[in-house]
Amino acid sequence: MATKKKRTLNVQNDSWVVIAADSVMDRHKHESDPAFVRLRNPSTDVASLYMLSSDDVQLFEVKAFEEDFHSWFVGQTVQRDGRLLFVTLMDPLYLILPYLIKSGREGKFQPVDQVVMDEEFPACSRLLSCTRSLASLHHIAEEKEVGKLKYHRYSQEKTMNWLKKKVERTVIALKARNISVGEGVKSSTYVRVKSESDYDEEDYLRYAHGLISEYISEDLSKALLKHLKLPELTSPKETEPPSKKRKLSDKPVEAGEDYTKFNSADFVRKPLKKMTAAQKTLAKVDKTGMKTMSSFFSPKVKAEKK
Amino acid sequence: MDLSPFETDNSVSCRLASQIPDVCRTEDCCLGIDEAGRGPVLGPMVYGICFCPVSKKQELKDSKVADSKTLTEAERENLFQKLDEARSYVGWALQILSPNTISTSMLQRTKYNLNALSHDTAIGLVQFALDSGVQLKEVFVDTVGPAEKYEEKLSKRFPGIEVTVRPKADSLFPIVSAASICAKVARDRVVKGWNFAEDLGEVDTDYGSGYPNDPKTKAWLLKYLDPVFGYPQFVRFSWSTAQTLMDSKGVTVHWDDDEEDGEKAAQRQNNKSMLSYFSASAGGNDQNPTHQTHRFFTERRLKSLNRL
Repeated sequence: MATKKKRTLNVQNDSWVVIAADSVMDRHKHESDPAFVRLRNPSTDVASLYMLSSDDVQLFEVKAFEEDFHSWFVGQTVQRDGRLLFVTLMDPLYLILPYLIKSGREGKFQPVDQVVMDEEFPACSRLLSCTRSLASLHHIAEEKEVGKLKYHRYSQEKTMNWLKKKVERTVIALKARNISVGEGVKSSTYVRVKSESDYDEEDYLRYAHGLISEYISEDLSKALLKHLKLPELTSPKETEPPSKKRKLSDKPVEAGEDYTKFNSADFVRKPLKKMTAAQKTLAKVDKTGMKTMSSFFSPKVKAEKK
Repeated sequence: MDLSPFETDNSVSCRLASQIPDVCRTEDCCLGIDEAGRGPVLGPMVYGICFCPVSKKQELKDSKVADSKTLTEAERENLFQKLDEARSYVGWALQILSPNTISTSMLQRTKYNLNALSHDTAIGLVQFALDSGVQLKEVFVDTVGPAEKYEEKLSKRFPGIEVTVRPKADSLFPIVSAASICAKVARDRVVKGWNFAEDLGEVDTDYGSGYPNDPKTKAWLLKYLDPVFGYPQFVRFSWSTAQTLMDSKGVTVHWDDDEEDGEKAAQRQNNKSMLSYFSASAGGNDQNPTHQTHRFFTERRLKSLNRL
């Protein structure tokens, strides 16, 4: 009945359905429009889409909700992709951090505007215009002031403390939002016996650490795990599947359990302490001339001998 | 026949009924069931029941009700008039299944086919007669699908009532003929005065019989095909005539219960082949094999973009 339908690739859209904070569009004091910019994603090290509000005051990350078989009706038009973009406020420090780490290897104090430079993503220097950027650099770097100029040097120790605070705040947010941090997928309509509050603090910490790791490099993520004193979980990808065969060894094979106690001389099967009424009446029955049940199952050796 | 309850909202199923004659509540009655508009791609399907006391069967026969298909529209209107005049002992009830009801039933996730819909509608109408206090003893039905199976289904559903299911029952039993006339008259009137819920401006009502093989109907279907929405609710979307036209002339629409080749669907959804789990890990095909997005995002279907 239904013919096979061909799926064509998404045609380029010239409009998007976006959810964004009002502050993105805050144009009371500013002249320029907010703009989508491509910047280096600190976690994947490749380009991701971000948004800078007018006059680069605030940084926003852009996430897309994407699922198959969705489309939008927008006014009197149909928009083919059912994508929903979320433009959410983001700490610019996450994006500045990789540049500081890179220059920090030289161990010198440097002016940040010389550090935050990227041939591939020239827009990255605009990150320094964000209101929070310069004011919060002390969280990840040591500062030196010479005259009117400020110089910075990356500090791993400061960064770890800063990230730890981020994790702790994330834990608070996770709890406040009732986000399931346990293993397995949870449906919001499925009521568990174990309530959310029963989850370990460690589950929350690990989950928050995972979330923060979306914004930092893998090396930093591992260092943060240590800093949080969380043991590293080996991912199932790395571990070999357990071999089914027990490994051969030179030692003699020993029984796992000791059954010999039943064979000792003083082992007597204890009679049942209490019998039910039915068992009592059965016990009183005259059993003379009756075979035991077990006799029917034993081999008929005697009969043959005779 | 007052069709206004249906015409106020012709997207749903609607029941219309005559007054129940007093004599039907006290005397043993027979009941006929028939339908009109099963085949057309346009307009509603109407189920009708007609009932009268068993003792009045002859009078009904004398009024020369006959299979509605052998009659002209004027004759049918005329006969319906006669049935109306006999309201002291003849009662009727109709279930108008809008084309929208038919479309949505047949095209929903758990398919509800036309036969099942027909059977359930017929059962609903018989139950309605019983609930109204009609003393039913005999039921005559023109069959839908195999007659024996249908008869068994109805007998089980209504124990104590003698159910007779026959093909061509509308020409064999006057009470079924009467039911077919009620159904057909209602359908004709509804189709003629169809209120289009859609804003189509001045609608060309020259759509012929509404049957898929009528050239007029086909021309109308071509004319009123919207590339995005398909058709007005007047059209049964589940009919292959409508589907073929929408597939060839309309925009392709994908639903997540569309049947696709398993492998292709899997590829589209980036599913891994089962076999890949058994081979040595070769790493994913992602840009960055080491990076796995946190489940907070994957569970919510959220991802970073690298361009708009």
